[in-house]
Amino acid sequence: MAFFEQHIHDAPKTFLSKYVISFDHKVIAKQFLWYGIIFLGIGGMMALMIRWTLAFPGEPFPVIGHFLFPNTNGVVPPDTYAMLFTLHGTIMIFYAITPILIGAFGNFCIPLMIGARDMVFPTLNMLSFWLAFLSAVLLLASLFTPLGGAAGGWVSYPTLSTTIGSPGVGQTLWCLAIFVLGVSSTMGAVNYIATIITLRAPGMGYFDMPLTVWGLWLTAILNALFLPVLGAGVMLLIFDRVFGTTFFLAGAAATSGSGDPVLFQHVFWIFGHPEVYILILPAWGIVSDLLSFFARKPAFGARSTALSMTSITILSTVVYGHHMYTTQMSPLLTQSFMMLTMTISIPSAVFFANWLGTIWKGAIRFSTPMLFSLGVVFVFGLGGLTGLYLATVSTDLYLHDTYFVVGHFHYTMAASVLLGGFAGTYFWFPKMFGRMMNETLGKIHFWISMLGLNGIFMGMMIVGYAGMHRRIYNPFVYEYLQKLIPINMFITISAITMGFGQLFFVYNFVNSLWNGPKASQNPWEVGTLEWTIPSPAPHYNFDIIPVVKCGPHEIGNPNLKGRDFQYQTEELA
Amino acid sequence: MNLYSLYFKFIMISAKASEMSFWERIKPPVDISTNGHLIDSLFNLTTYLILFFFVLVCLGLFGFSYLYHKKKHPVALYVHGTSRKHIAIVVAIATLVFVVIDMQITGISNHDYMEVFTKWPKEDAEVVKVEVLGQQWAWNFRYAGKDGIFNTEDDIVTLNDLRLPTNKKIVFQVTAKDVIHSFSLPNTRQKIDAMPGRVSKMWVELTKTGNYEVACAQICGTFHYRMQAKLKVYTPEEFQKWQDEMSYRTTYAVEKENADLYWGWKWIANN
Amino acid sequence: MVVVMAKQNILSEKEQGEEIISSVGMIVTLISFAMLFATLMMGFAMFRFSAPVWPPAGMTKPSLIIPSLSTLLIFLSSLCYFWYEKNIANKKGLDLTIFLGLGFMVVQAVFWHTLSSQGIYVSSGIFPSIIYAFTWIHAAHIVVALSLLLWLRFSGATVKVKQAQLRVASVGKFWHFLGIVWFIMFLTIFVL
Repeated sequence: MAFFEQHIHDAPKTFLSKYVISFDHKVIAKQFLWYGIIFLGIGGMMALMIRWTLAFPGEPFPVIGHFLFPNTNGVVPPDTYAMLFTLHGTIMIFYAITPILIGAFGNFCIPLMIGARDMVFPTLNMLSFWLAFLSAVLLLASLFTPLGGAAGGWVSYPTLSTTIGSPGVGQTLWCLAIFVLGVSSTMGAVNYIATIITLRAPGMGYFDMPLTVWGLWLTAILNALFLPVLGAGVMLLIFDRVFGTTFFLAGAAATSGSGDPVLFQHVFWIFGHPEVYILILPAWGIVSDLLSFFARKPAFGARSTALSMTSITILSTVVYGHHMYTTQMSPLLTQSFMMLTMTISIPSAVFFANWLGTIWKGAIRFSTPMLFSLGVVFVFGLGGLTGLYLATVSTDLYLHDTYFVVGHFHYTMAASVLLGGFAGTYFWFPKMFGRMMNETLGKIHFWISMLGLNGIFMGMMIVGYAGMHRRIYNPFVYEYLQKLIPINMFITISAITMGFGQLFFVYNFVNSLWNGPKASQNPWEVGTLEWTIPSPAPHYNFDIIPVVKCGPHEIGNPNLKGRDFQYQTEELA
Repeated sequence: MNLYSLYFKFIMISAKASEMSFWERIKPPVDISTNGHLIDSLFNLTTYLILFFFVLVCLGLFGFSYLYHKKKHPVALYVHGTSRKHIAIVVAIATLVFVVIDMQITGISNHDYMEVFTKWPKEDAEVVKVEVLGQQWAWNFRYAGKDGIFNTEDDIVTLNDLRLPTNKKIVFQVTAKDVIHSFSLPNTRQKIDAMPGRVSKMWVELTKTGNYEVACAQICGTFHYRMQAKLKVYTPEEFQKWQDEMSYRTTYAVEKENADLYWGWKWIANN
Repeated sequence: MVVVMAKQNILSEKEQGEEIISSVGMIVTLISFAMLFATLMMGFAMFRFSAPVWPPAGMTKPSLIIPSLSTLLIFLSSLCYFWYEKNIANKKGLDLTIFLGLGFMVVQAVFWHTLSSQGIYVSSGIFPSIIYAFTWIHAAHIVVALSLLLWLRFSGATVKVKQAQLRVASVGKFWHFLGIVWFIMFLTIFVL
């Protein structure tokens, strides 16, 4: 392990260098957190509009509908609906979850948890945020182009996303925004990988890293490997749109259709399936750590959890074909993708067993971060298991492109990741801002969110099983779906409840920034490196680079006197 | 419309909803094919297996949360889960999941997929062949007509109107004109993507006559939701009658002039 | 004395650390770039192997003369860069690399011009699409690499020797990488 003392810059003095063009990983983490939370709000609002349309087709959207859609008396029109679900997907995946889980927690936790003073390339880190900002500007600008924003779904399959299906500039800007965001995330990923390889504190082997860092590291590896794949895909799409190449054009409507639209699907899902794990791995890492911290005992089989995460990372790169069963690949490919997909359940079962093993015979403290972590175990159990229907070819023939798929991936990618993100926010808030968040409000937030999201996503799976297809503006033009009106209303009301519940979080977060009780150095009584320094973490973190002498989860050791945990800098008792 | 009236409307509809029980309501559309039950039964089997494991997870989650609350169980057990016994338990659970769920459903699904869904029927006179062309936002269907050869003048061409017989194997060849669509027959539990530049295929055999719906499952633009076709299932005799009548109309009526009729392709034989 | 030794130790440790960091960072970056080009090549392979005849009907492969010249130029420029890396005080090697790199760009421009003068435009089908798009993407990277080379050429005076060496090594990795990518493209698209 290469270790050396990083150069220490002086603390920035001006407002600009302190809060805007900052090289400090903690400030960049906060920037990403705000960025993500703002987009989470925008994406959530879009989700509500989508849900409203599905439950009450033809009714004006309450309160802001007349302002947003004056031409239709406040009713969401069908073309706007297409833009809404496209941008909801894009924003939630690339502009909300990625910045919060990877941008914010990655930047904040990695250096603090491995005992480094900053990321290894601070300039790259700063550029990464500002490129993400540029990308957001491009995406929002696409909404104000003459034909509106992108409307081809977040997967933007050609030929719908080429000039045949969407002639407007909006789609081109969307592609450009995704490309720029890809560059930004790849920069971040290079930074994370290099930081973790080179800057671990002396004595810290890979298995002495907290599992959060493991999750973030594997995520970064997947990002560095597969975002360029998406980059190549959208680049060719931009070429098709702007320069008239014919990579993805085929069929009667293309003037010189010698391309292949399915190529884009391959490229997209080679990236897209790892992307699912890019989003969930940090949440798994956070949950694996928090369960141990709040059950007051060591993480059960921490090494095997880390290895399962690694094997899922590897497997995730070879299973992408299960998104494309209905494109009729060769039967051999179809079967192998099904088999490979099924093997993912082995490592998943391993860390489910480990999670339950961690809370087994613990002394569980039900603080807000712990509640959210337990919530992740619950919703990810549902989300992961329902994936089996979709990995199986023959049931997928029926369920493909129905709301069942929507319910399933929201359970895994939205519910689990969001709950994991909230767990992390409640947990590291004291270290970020030096104040505690309110526990009561946090618990109310948890229960409302839990009720709301299970209502939404379980409802989605049910209507999907009943045959309701995705991305349909008004499902009730189909006779066989008309019986689903009450269930759709139930989902929408759950969604409104869930949206309402987030106000507790926003209030709690903003209020605690200024009025929260001052946090002590180690409010949760855990031993990882970030809790050996004062809260909030000072500029350049560690005065003296710590020397690591034991693992991150040494809690509940009976040999300890006075407290039940020990810091990673202490010899194992 | 404010939120009060929304909730009011919801309650009203829920009250009316009692006409149909919840379980009735969430049933998938009626199965009219000979093979749809394979998918339904695999779905049910998967559900039972999943429920079993999910109940185990919940037992662990809620049970341990209840038993090992810090008030009840103040001193945690100091184990790392690295003893041979613990590793054996974890490995056993993982193997159990793989063997009990994955191997089962993979085996069944492999069999169904290879032996049923992609086992193309022999192309003799008994098979009904239909060419399907998706376009924004409608389905075109084409039958070979009297001579049994596609892309000739006596083809029967319909728009958003699919008529099929029972008790006969039906083979679809599907493509799209402009963007990707997905030819979805929820009543047979099957769908296949319609992609420009490629011809994909699907086969079904129907059992029940009646009126059903054909949907587009893949987002294909603003009016994706309107891209629906009617499916009318006849008995073989009725179907023959309809076909004869249509043949007469296409050969002698003005419809010949319509250039849009000439989108068909030569039927692509198996293998 | 001991203090001086310790200081030197820390200094060399720091330099060693910087060396490892810059090479790890550069290798990860290059893997990312490699994935980008690998995706393009995968797309090419899918078109190549699913087509009944290649090049597609009505197309002929462009003449090999100009692409071969590009290959030669970029190969020579990589050689010159190796020479420069041996002794970074002597800037002649760097000058030659930049010159040959610019020559490569000129030859590429000539190549595009000849193609379009033969009536092969970017929108005339899948094969021209591939040729144009892939060479454009490669050329865009060459432009970035050339500006990095120019930056090396005109900023070297102010930094310490060790740091300059690291920069030269990193930029060199990128330049050689682009040479390899070009060679693979040349082999697969133009020759085979």
